[in-house]
Amino acid sequence: MTDIRSPSSDLLRAISRRDFIQRAATGTVITALGGGYYFLNDRLTREAQAQTRADGRPRVPPGQRVIEALRPMGGTPGSPNPSEFRLRISGEVERPFELDFAGLLALPQTDVVADVHCVTAWSCLDARWRGVLIRDLAEKAGVKKSARHVIFEAAHGYTANVRLEEALAPDVLVAHRLDGRALARPHGAPARAVVPSLYFWKSPKWLTGIRFTSRDQPGYWEVRGYNNHADPWLEERYA
Amino acid sequence: MPEPTRAWRWRPWLRALHRDLGYLAVGLTFVYALSGLAVNHIADWDPNFDNYERELRVATPLPAEDAAAAAYVLKELSLEAGSARDVYRVDAAELQIQLEEATLHVRTDTGEVREEGQRPRLLLRIANWLHLNRGKKAWTYAADAYAAGLLVLATTGIFMLPGRKGLLGRGALLVAIGVALPVLYVTLSGGP
Repeated sequence: MTDIRSPSSDLLRAISRRDFIQRAATGTVITALGGGYYFLNDRLTREAQAQTRADGRPRVPPGQRVIEALRPMGGTPGSPNPSEFRLRISGEVERPFELDFAGLLALPQTDVVADVHCVTAWSCLDARWRGVLIRDLAEKAGVKKSARHVIFEAAHGYTANVRLEEALAPDVLVAHRLDGRALARPHGAPARAVVPSLYFWKSPKWLTGIRFTSRDQPGYWEVRGYNNHADPWLEERYA
Repeated sequence: MPEPTRAWRWRPWLRALHRDLGYLAVGLTFVYALSGLAVNHIADWDPNFDNYERELRVATPLPAEDAAAAAYVLKELSLEAGSARDVYRVDAAELQIQLEEATLHVRTDTGEVREEGQRPRLLLRIANWLHLNRGKKAWTYAADAYAAGLLVLATTGIFMLPGRKGLLGRGALLVAIGVALPVLYVTLSGGP
């Protein structure tokens, strides 16, 4: 019977172990260098971090990394067809109404340049949106004094809740164009909400309704462990 | 003389249970693991769709009437004549032609066409749909049963093969590492 613990097999085992350690160390160093390069070479984030917004807050909220283009981030798509678009303005309003896409385009249009902050830690700066301000829709509907919150309703039952004063800010809109082009399918064509001051899950794609309510109604992600308010500068990511 | 009673050997039963549950769990483990990997990196890619965009051009002038213009564009781009699901005039110079998985944004004055579309990633999209329980109803029971099955697999896995040092050998060390990982992460990151 062969002695499996012969000197030659010990030697082979030692070499094999040494070989493994060398390979593991090499892999670790390469990975670390790659990761280091990834972070050190992040010029966009570094430049933006040096800037301050008009309201005094830093341009880039904590924990965010700046990227060049908006990412789709999934969601169950609604119809991208403008002919099928309907937007209901309802709830605590004097004059509820419904718009089709032509009706949306017929209302006063506003251009907003705003940064987008996603809860998954990327930010996209200077996105150029065109659409109708929520405050204009609210004025047309005659929002009652009892209203405190806005519930954005979207395809397949998706909802997102926003405080009334934040929904009526001068940069919050129902957008149908991004960077000079009609909104693309992955970004919620034909129209989506845009609430730049909150994490972007509060800006539903494939928007179908805006409901004013007196009581808060946590939305799709809010009842699944995400923060009810979602301020990026306070890193309100999770509940 | 009475026959000696044999002690009940529970480990073989445990191994059989573990093996059979493991077989049952293979399908769902692939569904949940693959979609977990896909959705974990949702900031880097769209796990449900392959999104694409391309710039095209058709010769001008286009017919003035929308349906005729759409038919002309489809013919110029060698697309099937009946593939337009809808045609929408956005403004005087822009026509949208909706196809099954794409939209053609046509500049009627210049003939420029931007095609943007989404091709579903068939298996991953289904796996993600199941993982996120978008279907609801009956799938909740299947997912709950799978979760309970995983708990049984994890528990039986600890006991199914006796180690040389009982529960205190390599198995205990590996279990401790597995438990320590989330505990350390929550501790060091500050938690929720």
